[in-house]
Amino acid sequence: MTRPFILSASLAEAAFAVPQSAAPILQAAEAAGLDLLMMGRSGARPFDAQVLLAWAAPITTRLGLVATVPASNAHPFHVARALSAIDFLSAGRTGWSVIPEGSPDGMAEDMVGAARALWDGWGSDTLILDKARGRYLDASKVRASNYEGPFFKVAGPLNAMRPPLGHPLLVVDGDDPIDVADADIGLIGADGAAPAATRRLAKVSLDADVAALSNRFAAGEIDGVHFTLTDALAQLPEIGTRFGSLVADRIDATGDLRARLGLPIPQTASNQPGGAVVPENA
Amino acid sequence: MMDKQIHLWAFLQGIGFFPSGWMHERARPEGVFSMDYYARVAKLAEQGMFDAIVFGDQLQSRGAGGRTPERMAMPTLDPVSLLTAMAAVTKHVGLVATVSTSYNTPEMLAERFGAMERISGGRAGWNIVTTAHPATAPNFGDNDLPPKDERYRRAKEVVAKACELWAAMDREGPMLPQGRPVLVQAGQSADGRDFAARTAEAIFCPAANIDAGIDFRSDLRARVAVVGRDPDGVRIMPGLSCVLGGSEEEARASHAAILDLADDALAIEYLSESLGCDLTPFDPQGEIPVTTILEHTILPKADIARAVTPAHEKRTPLGAFAANFMRHPRGHNVFLGTPEQMADMMISWRDAGACDGFTLQPSYMPGGLEDFVEQVVPILQQRGRLRTEYPGTTLRETLGLPAREAVAA
Repeated sequence: MTRPFILSASLAEAAFAVPQSAAPILQAAEAAGLDLLMMGRSGARPFDAQVLLAWAAPITTRLGLVATVPASNAHPFHVARALSAIDFLSAGRTGWSVIPEGSPDGMAEDMVGAARALWDGWGSDTLILDKARGRYLDASKVRASNYEGPFFKVAGPLNAMRPPLGHPLLVVDGDDPIDVADADIGLIGADGAAPAATRRLAKVSLDADVAALSNRFAAGEIDGVHFTLTDALAQLPEIGTRFGSLVADRIDATGDLRARLGLPIPQTASNQPGGAVVPENA
Repeated sequence: MMDKQIHLWAFLQGIGFFPSGWMHERARPEGVFSMDYYARVAKLAEQGMFDAIVFGDQLQSRGAGGRTPERMAMPTLDPVSLLTAMAAVTKHVGLVATVSTSYNTPEMLAERFGAMERISGGRAGWNIVTTAHPATAPNFGDNDLPPKDERYRRAKEVVAKACELWAAMDREGPMLPQGRPVLVQAGQSADGRDFAARTAEAIFCPAANIDAGIDFRSDLRARVAVVGRDPDGVRIMPGLSCVLGGSEEEARASHAAILDLADDALAIEYLSESLGCDLTPFDPQGEIPVTTILEHTILPKADIARAVTPAHEKRTPLGAFAANFMRHPRGHNVFLGTPEQMADMMISWRDAGACDGFTLQPSYMPGGLEDFVEQVVPILQQRGRLRTEYPGTTLRETLGLPAREAVAA
């Protein structure tokens, strides 16, 4: 596929934690053509983003849902499990961003390593679901991870299936970066430093020059843009109006988030290329 | 509030109560990986006027001795995620997630349930568990579980701290509609019952028959009173599975057919997990390898010896022992009969003080839940024992528990 222009935004409004606020914001994000909505950001996590992702999954259809995960108040076993569930519930629309704020050096990277090892403990084709033969899964595709990092030691296997995306999209924010060589999405920091990632998004404001961004995209300098929302309900329609043309050619694209954004799992990140397949039961 | 109302909870982990349930023609094993399934099931529970949907949980993958079973339905998805997604497509039904106090910090718990409570509009419940399976510890960097008394001591501290954190969250806003999630417990031991008596607002338990129900509920209510709480502020909800039929004979035949879906290989995998020792290398026709089991099990050896010794002494073959073990699951009440008989049974338990309601464990999913909602729920409603509309929106209101002012700090 041609390289898509990626439209992304983060929100960190405390009011998003209640359904009366969250529902219209999610609808506005979808209407604006947003590819990724990151819940929370470094220094502003007024809610448990993983929980809100689960709530958003059934009431959205194409929006990529990205959870910020604090490295210091989470455990990779729980995180890997929750993101697996959310990726199934959203049919492959999940992402995550580990926020190092306040955690010891290396803990965020350790979180990433441990969760990846747990997701890799299940093969893409583990499930069989053959009622007639009574065979639910192929046990040879399930492995203990025996992950041992500086902070987390996790035996596994995880009691959750490999996600449909294989690994949820890993987003790294250049303004509070973690040291991972193979993220999927990097948000270019204020100092211009781009995290090592398959795609890099420029952080811009709503009045950014669309033509100039389009040129930078065409020149391969950036792969899209990221907005830091302060009043999501008001700003999302404006994003749709001003920047929607950049993603208009993909508005009907189907498939999971990796397929739509042309983002295969980096070879260095996983022991297998694909996500979990659920056989249709006869 | 109608007299002797029957409360209903739906325990929906996995694909049903019976290990062979996933193979039933009306089971949908692929469904548990899709939102459509959870939306349908959640709406069904709401149609059936259930108080709440409950998911159990474990923090280890299924199996024994490092071997993952091939014939049992797994893995289970994260209950908080499943229930929160179900909240988005329902309005009334409560959502009770099982989460461990041994492998979460109070901060993690408070953040997670606080978010669930807010986004569900006050329908969150926490089934507090201390985690008893030894295979959990290596997933969290430990070799062994803490001893039981230490786990319960920690549980008390964690619950108290989480309650403080929820009070702070409630003050900061947005408010937590119930002040905090409803606290649920399922411990059976003396430690567990004491903890439940001090903490729980609803209790899930096994009770194989009406007398066991009366004994448990009387004991718990007495313990609740001893610590100065009102016994009427605690709902006791024993597990109940069922297979329904147009006649008792038909129900018995359907039950036998579900059990017959299981072969020796499934039964031995199930037994292996229950005994904490992989028995799949052994001949099903041979004797029960008691020495190996007691040498290798990671579960308490005295309990395991009690479970296997009588059959071993009778020279029961391994396969036959496994099949029989799987047919008598976990001390819960399994009702076989017509919908009218089931409603009669439920009413008689309630009137005898054996329960405040039931935690339905459908034998296979979603067919077992559909049958109950379509066939038994209308009878309970006609007899004035089950509500026809929800009294409010929060789980506390649905359970008829004291309002949030009683718990909000």
